[in-house]
Amino acid sequence: MTAASLEPWEVFRQEKEGAPMQHGGSVMAPDAELATHYARELFGRRQESVRLWVVRRADIVDLADPDLLQPPLDRSFKKPGGYVMRDKLAAAREASGQAKPRARSR
Amino acid sequence: MTVAALPVAALGELLRSMADDEFVIGFSDSEWTGIAPILEEDVAMSSLAQDELGHAAALYGLLGDLTGTDPDALAYDREPDAYRHCRLLDHGRGDWAMAIARRFLYDTADSARLDALVGGSWAPLADLVGKLVREERYHEMHATVWLDRLARGGNEPRSRLIDALTTLGPDAGTVFAPLPDERALVEAGILATSLPELEARWRAAVEPTLAALDLPMPPPVREPERGRADHGEPFRWLWTEFNTVRRAEPGATW
Amino acid sequence: MTDPLALEPILGPHERGRTAFNDDLPHDERFALFEAHVTAGGKVEATDWMPDEYRTAVLRFVEMHANSELMGVLPEREWLMRAPTLRRKLALTAKVQDEVGHAQLLYRVAEDLGKPREAMFDDLLAGRTKFHNVFHYPTVGWADVGMIAWLVDAAAIVAQQALRDSSYAPYARTMRKICWEESVHIMHGRDVVVTMATGSSAQRAAIQDALERWWGPLMQMHGPRSPREKDRDLYWRIKAKTSEELRQEFLTIYVPRIRELGLVIPDPDLALDDATREWRYAEPDWDELRRVVTNHGPMSEARLAFRRHARDETSWVRDTILASPRAA
Repeated sequence: MTAASLEPWEVFRQEKEGAPMQHGGSVMAPDAELATHYARELFGRRQESVRLWVVRRADIVDLADPDLLQPPLDRSFKKPGGYVMRDKLAAAREASGQAKPRARSR
Repeated sequence: MTVAALPVAALGELLRSMADDEFVIGFSDSEWTGIAPILEEDVAMSSLAQDELGHAAALYGLLGDLTGTDPDALAYDREPDAYRHCRLLDHGRGDWAMAIARRFLYDTADSARLDALVGGSWAPLADLVGKLVREERYHEMHATVWLDRLARGGNEPRSRLIDALTTLGPDAGTVFAPLPDERALVEAGILATSLPELEARWRAAVEPTLAALDLPMPPPVREPERGRADHGEPFRWLWTEFNTVRRAEPGATW
Repeated sequence: MTDPLALEPILGPHERGRTAFNDDLPHDERFALFEAHVTAGGKVEATDWMPDEYRTAVLRFVEMHANSELMGVLPEREWLMRAPTLRRKLALTAKVQDEVGHAQLLYRVAEDLGKPREAMFDDLLAGRTKFHNVFHYPTVGWADVGMIAWLVDAAAIVAQQALRDSSYAPYARTMRKICWEESVHIMHGRDVVVTMATGSSAQRAAIQDALERWWGPLMQMHGPRSPREKDRDLYWRIKAKTSEELRQEFLTIYVPRIRELGLVIPDPDLALDDATREWRYAEPDWDELRRVVTNHGPMSEARLAFRRHARDETSWVRDTILASPRAA
């Protein structure tokens, strides 16, 4: 009989239908079956989750390299914030004599 | 079902037996809080205990509605001999193997009992049973996971488990001990099957699980007609504990 | 097509060195970078490089917290079996369950810092590590159960809320979960106390008596005053407030709530100084605190012995869990 060992299992939980899975914490367990039971207890006993994912920490691939995730050169052209047109639009409206369109109501 | 047709006395006996069962096992299991083998199991066992106590509270609630009595008064304010829980639950807490063996034997029996009450003719009980059945699924999962691990975990866990099953075995069937005027419940469509028949079904249901693990089947019940009477020392201790504060100031609000 | 040079640089230049201490640099350089990062409010994860001083400080802090949750179960556990109504029994069982759950969460944080759980239990039970003073005292009645759930938990939550922004991120996240769960406990405790305070004369007397016995330990709980500059846990931002700040916060919130029940706080010197807006109080017995946290309190040895016994009785179960193989 090979010995199991206690290892950490990460628990992800979903707050309600349609919500993203979010990291809740971890439990120590020797296998998936007990890890699931304990995840239910530690992160679901108060009916606070509608779904749980339980994953062996060792199976998670971690990426935190800033060169890959936060490279130094400006990349604002990849985001809405990289397109500021306020002054140009104001100039255009002045030239055409038109007022700023009203914001759409909800 | 009209109120006039309701077999109130028989129903009261049924509710009392079920409520007392859940109350006593809930109390016993809550003894593990803070001292279970691992922290994660501590939290799990505590949830099981809270579930049982919640079920007891709901059942005492129904009994209270039926008899016009406060549920806490029903739960607490009787002399020990007036409790109607089954003898299976009259053993002391014991070790972890005892706790698991008792949970397995009780949960499987309770499951058979609940199956016979689902869709019964008295709506309040049928509705409650519908909810209890869903909660009990987790209990059965937990019990069978641990039964398996202890049975196959090596000499020590296995022999402790067998000791526990041997001690509890002769009392296991007391969940189905005869109730006064049980026939009225069957005739009224509240209970779908007689208690002796339920016991047979329960034995047939647990046999494959126990056989697969080479564990002893519970023998026939010793003195079934006394199955919900004669509460011994372990229960008297429990009774004294749960009445300590309440009896210090009867009638007070807590 | 829009001229790329016309784009306003909305985002400032990224600092490549945010976690430079994780690079393979000489120790002193890494230490300096780490120190700059943390003292400026930066967060640390379990997988980051840490100087030994920081790792040791966090571990000691978290371990004592975990030990306290674990030992804190025992004073209330006795009364689980004696709860006088179904609802109180359920509430107290849930509360004690939460304390065990908190112990689990905190031991997990400490385990991920490198100390195995069994080693922490060994140290606790051998008296080498500590747990908070309040858990070394006896509970003599149901009034104590209410008082602890209310005021001891309140004093604890004042400290725990200040930890929600700890530099050690796993601890900070755990504290947010714990604070959320503790808020229910305080409500349960307050409900028990208010019920008794407005109940029979015997119940009122029991509550007043409980307050008198627990006030001293409560005032000692946050620890003696110490200067901010000397506190390394503050320097490393493991915690954010001094002992005195926590004690003042506790008094500000809870003195009015205690008094509104008609209870008398057993400190004639307790008063709010109008000029400084600070509470004055009789000096807590710091010798008592020292004796108690070194396991010379009234229940220290009995509770440690109880835990040792419980652990020994169940060691075969832990061995079983590890013995049976279940391929994932």
